[in-house]
Amino acid sequence: MRIVLILKKIMRKNGEIMRKTSIFVFVASLFATSFLMANEVNVFNARHYKADAELFSKFTNKTGIKVNLINGKAGALEKRMIEEGVDSSADLYITADAGRCGVFQSKGMTQSGLTSAAIKSAVPSNFRNSHWTGIAKRARIVYYSPERVSGAELSGLTYESLADPKWKGRIVIRASNNIYNKSLVASLVKNNGKKATAEWAKGIVANMARTPKGNDRAQIMAVAAGEADIAVANTYYLALMLSGKKGPEQQGAAKKVKAFFPNQGDRGTHMNISCAALVKGAPNKNNAIKLVEFLLTPESQEHFVNNTFEFPMINGVSANPLVVNNIGLDFKQDLKTKVSSYGAKQADALEVMTAAGWK
Amino acid sequence: MRINFWYISSLFISIFVIIPILTVFLSFFETTSNYYQILKDTFLLEYISNSIILLLSVLILTFLIGTSTAYLVSFYRFPLSNFFKWALILSFAVPPYIYAYSLTAFFENYGTAYSILKSLFGDKNYNLYIPKFDGILGVILSLSFSLFAYVYILARASFLYQSQNFIDLGKNLGFTNFKTLYTIILPAARPAIVAGLSLVAMETLAEFGAVDFFSINTLTTGIYNSWITFDDLAFANQLSFFLLLFIFALFILENLSRNKAKYHFNAKGGFKQKQKLQLKGTKSIAAFLFCFLVFFLSFLFPLSQMLYWTIKFPENLFDLQIINLLSNTLYLVILSSFVLIMFSLISNYGNRVTKNKTLNILSTLSISGYAIPGVILAVAFITFIAWFDESVVKNLGLFSIKKIFIGSILGLVLVYFVRFYSLAFNGIKSGYEKINISVDESSYLLGYSKRKTFMNIHIPFLRNSLLFVCILISLEIVRELPITLILRPFNFETLATTAYISASEDLLEAAAVPSLFLILIATFFIIVTSKYILRDNNE
Repeated sequence: MRIVLILKKIMRKNGEIMRKTSIFVFVASLFATSFLMANEVNVFNARHYKADAELFSKFTNKTGIKVNLINGKAGALEKRMIEEGVDSSADLYITADAGRCGVFQSKGMTQSGLTSAAIKSAVPSNFRNSHWTGIAKRARIVYYSPERVSGAELSGLTYESLADPKWKGRIVIRASNNIYNKSLVASLVKNNGKKATAEWAKGIVANMARTPKGNDRAQIMAVAAGEADIAVANTYYLALMLSGKKGPEQQGAAKKVKAFFPNQGDRGTHMNISCAALVKGAPNKNNAIKLVEFLLTPESQEHFVNNTFEFPMINGVSANPLVVNNIGLDFKQDLKTKVSSYGAKQADALEVMTAAGWK
Repeated sequence: MRINFWYISSLFISIFVIIPILTVFLSFFETTSNYYQILKDTFLLEYISNSIILLLSVLILTFLIGTSTAYLVSFYRFPLSNFFKWALILSFAVPPYIYAYSLTAFFENYGTAYSILKSLFGDKNYNLYIPKFDGILGVILSLSFSLFAYVYILARASFLYQSQNFIDLGKNLGFTNFKTLYTIILPAARPAIVAGLSLVAMETLAEFGAVDFFSINTLTTGIYNSWITFDDLAFANQLSFFLLLFIFALFILENLSRNKAKYHFNAKGGFKQKQKLQLKGTKSIAAFLFCFLVFFLSFLFPLSQMLYWTIKFPENLFDLQIINLLSNTLYLVILSSFVLIMFSLISNYGNRVTKNKTLNILSTLSISGYAIPGVILAVAFITFIAWFDESVVKNLGLFSIKKIFIGSILGLVLVYFVRFYSLAFNGIKSGYEKINISVDESSYLLGYSKRKTFMNIHIPFLRNSLLFVCILISLEIVRELPITLILRPFNFETLATTAYISASEDLLEAAAVPSLFLILIATFFIIVTSKYILRDNNE
């Protein structure tokens, strides 16, 4: 409104212009948004919008704190928070990968504060730090066609051995710009070094059944359809297909593939999280912490596992039966590689994949 | 030079629109960071080659589809030819990204095509026999079927203005119909076709939704990615500069190739109304089938795929707050149309009454906003506001203005304004060109002031143009994606953003409901104005 006043002053000399100004003021009032401070929390949300939105309204009912939401792809949301800088209205950033939270933190965009007892007791330490915390878990695993891949072939399979020439023309995996792949490869860089991972990436590209395309679900369907023998994808996708939420055809397709957990003989299967990060300069920091604590209650965790088919973050809540029965819980998780390294090694991961010609 | 209200306001509007465009140009001379240099080198070639492939393929396809259908409905009568005349522009209602969703939904493994085959021939693995339209092929098809209407509308309008005399001339020379088309009709319609194609070219280069959906790297997504992934705004801006060079090169090429040819429409003297030829037999069926195929592929196919999904997954219909999405979408449409039209009227009139050269050049420059992809405009806008806030506003000790502009309806409408200003400006300008300057002079002689001339004479004269421009803007804003996506406020979703977000979250079937409503609204807009878009005679 200050701008309008200044404009008015400048234009006062001319009566005709005054009239135009009043139109301008009218138009400006159409734009007016409320700047009233309220009991609220501003969430930049980049994951599972529908399921999350339901949870947020439960939170509002319980606490009276209004959740203001902006949904979008992670990159764009991060960028907007960065450009808004200290004036950003963002309190909490929720996204689907530890690599994202890690990089966001390294840009100085988060702040410490997720240190309450409720959070610390709920979340194992390798899945959180004081700036961000996991709110649900997923594993990136191998799906195979039992018709075309034998148990002997799979035995002892690791992410590393996917580069073995015996898989030539048999693997599907999505594009290198995908964050799940960046984080998986980052964990390999962390464990095996950049040079070895660069060789590995070349092997994977040589083994691909097709140029990477589509999402994780499309990779699983490609195995079901016979385009490839094994696919790399996250755990919850198969359960989603089996649930019938994607229609009977995909339900049928999901039954044609089986899940396999790599690296059971050594560090365990690559784990990742959906994470919530406390944004620097958050105007409603306390409400944001309350929301995170709420997301870690058994009630919210139940909601996650049954809607997004992720693994629960906390103990005492069981994964959805579709996950338990078709993917399984009895596997060794990689708890050695800290998920915070996914952000730290992300640039290296992207570099080795690009250099290998991974589209 | 006369400095008055009209001059100042036109100047102000032009400068406002030029700022983001200049930001793009100036940053070309900034140095980019060396970080990721190798990656950039790898990507730049890919961006450019993909953009070229995309551009050429889409131009060829839209030219073929647009001119052939326009030719058929303008010169011949065949079953439903009057229906196709307007039905073919309905493809405008389907934005390329929704077309992309439909293509994927239908052809993917275990998609709709599979379901159809399964219900017809029983349970077998048909997936390997179903062609896959994804990747760059998917983008080409999505863009072509959604954009050919530009060529169709302009080519058809031009065909209509062609005098029957020309065609009779061809006949007298013993030309076949094809030769008449090739040597007389098409060359005479060339400016219109090229105008249509250049719109297609700009839309293609600016396309974000479909290209992003199929993860094809073009200059536009490259701009977005280098901004997002590489944090490198300077590089992003350099890419935009390449993109603009591309677009200017196209225009220059076309201008050069036209050489000294002049295109006059002798609308006043010697115009002979055309007689449409009645097609018979196989020719008539072939014409019908061809037009139907185009209509089917461009409109019925995406519409029915989205409808099918809405019915197949009905829970999405109830989950969404459709009323809310509709009202948000319409709110943006009304507000932006109002602002755009008001300011374009002022600047057009300013140009007309001042006849100032600087102003003219500025106006010409300012309409190039349309050639800049929405993504880059949104980026430039945020950068500019952030810079302005940090280096000017805060130094004056004022409150931060970021919240007023970023993530607000005001910011959103401002960027729409820059992007679609050329549509409004040119639309009104073409209306103005039909009002002879002597009308103004008579009006002044009769003692009307400039404002009175504007309000009482120009506006009524311009009514039709204004309505047309209004609908064009509305269509664009209903379909607009990247600007809305980047700049919208909290708790504010439109049909387009909901569709995009669902699709990017692997909830393509949930994208069907907003997509369906988007198509329906756009169809409504098109039907309302079809008689203006397709008017058959000179006014």
